[in-house]
Amino acid sequence: MIKEWIKACSQALSSKAKLKQCFSNFDVYKTSFTAVDLELTSLNPSKTQITSVGYVSGIGSRIDLSSCGYHVINTTADLGQSPVIHGLTLDVLQKGENLAQAIDALAPLFQQHVLIFHNARLDLTALNRAFKQCGAPKINVLYIDTLQLALYQLNKQHQVLPSNSATLSVCRQRLGLPAFYEHNALDDALATLQLFLAQLTELGITREATLDCLIHTGAVGRIQLGDS
Amino acid sequence: MTAMAKQVEDFLNTSAPFELLDYDQKHALVKHTELIYLTNENVNDVFKDKVSLFLIQSGQFSVKDSDAPTRHLSDGDYFGYTNIIEKSNFPLSITVDSPGLVYCFDALAIEPLLEIPVIRHFFDGLRNNALQNHAIADSNSMWLYKGLTDAIEKAPVSVDAQTPITVAAQLMTSQKVSSLLVTQEEKLIGIITDRDLRSRVVAASLDTHLPVSQIMTANPAQIMGNRTLFDALALMTEKNIHHLPVIDNQTQVPLGMVTASDIIRHQRGNVLFIIGELSKAENLYELTRLSWQLPHYFSAHAKKAGDYDIAGKILSQATDIMTRKLIGFFQQANGKAPMMFAWLVYGSQAREDQTMGSDQDNGLLLAERPSEAQSAYFSNMAQYVCNGLAKCGIKLCDGNIMASNPKLRLSLDEALEEAKQWVKAPTKDAIMHFNIFLDVRCAAGDISLFKHLQKRRAPLMQQNMFLAALARHSNEISVPLSMFQKFVYEKGRKQKDLIDLKTRAVALINNIARIYALADGVTLPNTLARLEALSERSQLSKRDATNLRDIWLFLNRLRWRHQLENKVTDNRVSISSLSSIEKHQLKAAFKAIERTNQAMVMKFSGGVS
Repeated sequence: MIKEWIKACSQALSSKAKLKQCFSNFDVYKTSFTAVDLELTSLNPSKTQITSVGYVSGIGSRIDLSSCGYHVINTTADLGQSPVIHGLTLDVLQKGENLAQAIDALAPLFQQHVLIFHNARLDLTALNRAFKQCGAPKINVLYIDTLQLALYQLNKQHQVLPSNSATLSVCRQRLGLPAFYEHNALDDALATLQLFLAQLTELGITREATLDCLIHTGAVGRIQLGDS
Repeated sequence: MTAMAKQVEDFLNTSAPFELLDYDQKHALVKHTELIYLTNENVNDVFKDKVSLFLIQSGQFSVKDSDAPTRHLSDGDYFGYTNIIEKSNFPLSITVDSPGLVYCFDALAIEPLLEIPVIRHFFDGLRNNALQNHAIADSNSMWLYKGLTDAIEKAPVSVDAQTPITVAAQLMTSQKVSSLLVTQEEKLIGIITDRDLRSRVVAASLDTHLPVSQIMTANPAQIMGNRTLFDALALMTEKNIHHLPVIDNQTQVPLGMVTASDIIRHQRGNVLFIIGELSKAENLYELTRLSWQLPHYFSAHAKKAGDYDIAGKILSQATDIMTRKLIGFFQQANGKAPMMFAWLVYGSQAREDQTMGSDQDNGLLLAERPSEAQSAYFSNMAQYVCNGLAKCGIKLCDGNIMASNPKLRLSLDEALEEAKQWVKAPTKDAIMHFNIFLDVRCAAGDISLFKHLQKRRAPLMQQNMFLAALARHSNEISVPLSMFQKFVYEKGRKQKDLIDLKTRAVALINNIARIYALADGVTLPNTLARLEALSERSQLSKRDATNLRDIWLFLNRLRWRHQLENKVTDNRVSISSLSSIEKHQLKAAFKAIERTNQAMVMKFSGGVS
């Protein structure tokens, strides 16, 4: 399965020109963004399951707090050590929603908005599997990874990256953003969106710019979800 | 359904007045809230479409949102409320000093919240403060303007209206109070006093098992907790009463009672009272005893910015009085002085900006060169006064700038000759030495002698070469900011974030004011008075002078607060102890001082520095 994902991914990336064309349609400060964060049962992409999903949308640098969404999924997967991290224990999860309900809420946003993740790879793998599990229609999504944006900046400054220098909270700290309540999917999503906006300023993105100005950072991508 | 992120809830919970809202109210508010990452790129676009209330979570911004002057704001600060409260449409003008997150609450969601009195009150307060930002309240008797909530010391002693008279009287005895608040459902409905028990119970042989409501004074005069002692005093005098219940202005719940004896107690703590007592002191012992109450007075009563503004002046006045008393005591014991003299004070005492750590700087000006016997008389007098001041808590001067030093007891002719030497050879060392003598005031003795000296000395000191040398000297101190506008802290201190506000900033303003004053022929020693007195001809613009005055007052407040809060006498203020807005203001103040200082050096030294 992972092979297929890589294949899909490389297909998308292989045509860099196509990617550039996709992203050049978006004025940075007029684009609708949705930041998404998943809490997962494990960090192993091949078997991880979603326990909760949080998201928030905004247009340009305005984050609309009324768009905040949060779903706890009644997953049956082995939770492993994950409750220690995100605090979602079995009894909380049992009261949660079906995965399909959450995907139904997300799918319309995914079609219309550019998605923002901190560490897109893991979350996209889990989402791709979730789309398939639910039999949701395939959709193409455009995404930007704040982790990659941070690494792009860090690599300019360091030969060897200090450990933990690209976690969400450390990246935020570096850009003077306030501390936040970590490891809740909604809080992480909101924190990610704020980080993205601060990164745009750090990169000196001007108000006339279009999103293809981020392509050289290697942090943007296009992928099909629900592909089998 | 909208979910509320924990960080949003946490932020609202720590932001007055929204912490008062319950979860549902916060949730409803968040539905009409945007969070903007405000930068130079988007600052001109984001505020156009609708009226909102803004709350800064991070970053620094210069904002003009009403007729009040531009404000420098950072985390925790609001703006845009004037438009909502006044239903006006003042265009926002914002400069991003450092980008950050700003909460943006739709006016439509805020307006209903303003119906809640506490919230309305909060924003009304903000609005009024913004307008009064520059008005420096000159409260000569600070105790009178103390808020009642600070003045009442005891929790309210109250009984329910149905309580029997005996029980109420027992409570008064056990609580050692002379009056009781009578309440019904927590609201005040009456009071009873010792006198009521005497005249309405004992004298009338009333049954003491009756409820207190039978003997209380119903609907008594009352005052809101947000008023001042002065208001209470006025009301009590007007109604001829000795007990005045204090009520919370929001909830109407009684907070306590102000009594005539409370007022007398506060009056005893009044500095004017101490100064009055100082001038009545009949001997050294009484004088020292009273003097030692001064630090106590300041730490107990100076709370507001306006208090700090006059604290230096009060301390200098007190020192003047001590000096005059001491000279009087000496003359009582040793006879009248053999010739005219003036007791001169220098430095901070002359400028009237003494703080608790200031040491004494003084000297004597004599009408003529003294004979040996006359010289001995003044030597003894100076010894006595300087030591007396030290006993009163005004430290002896480490640099020996005291009248007890024979070099500082000059005749008028010698003093003039000395000034000529200063002007003739204003070397770096010489300036270091005589700078302090340029701020001078006559605190005791014959003021005409001193005026005579000043009149003859002023033209000398207006000479360009002399002013140029002073300006160059001032340029050798720089404000504690690095090239990248970061604070530069004192080196070699255990605590790493200290800045000496006196030597690194206040002294610079004093220098600037002194040099412009000398150039303009202004002989006043006080920095603020000098800035005020500069004539139209002065090269310092009115705007810069006003700006320097505000900065001087701001720095002065910071160092007084530092001394009183930490019970120290130095001026090394810890930057991390300042609020974020104060840090912001301090940085702006340093930059302004630096600019004005540079301009002065250019003007007076012709750019050679």
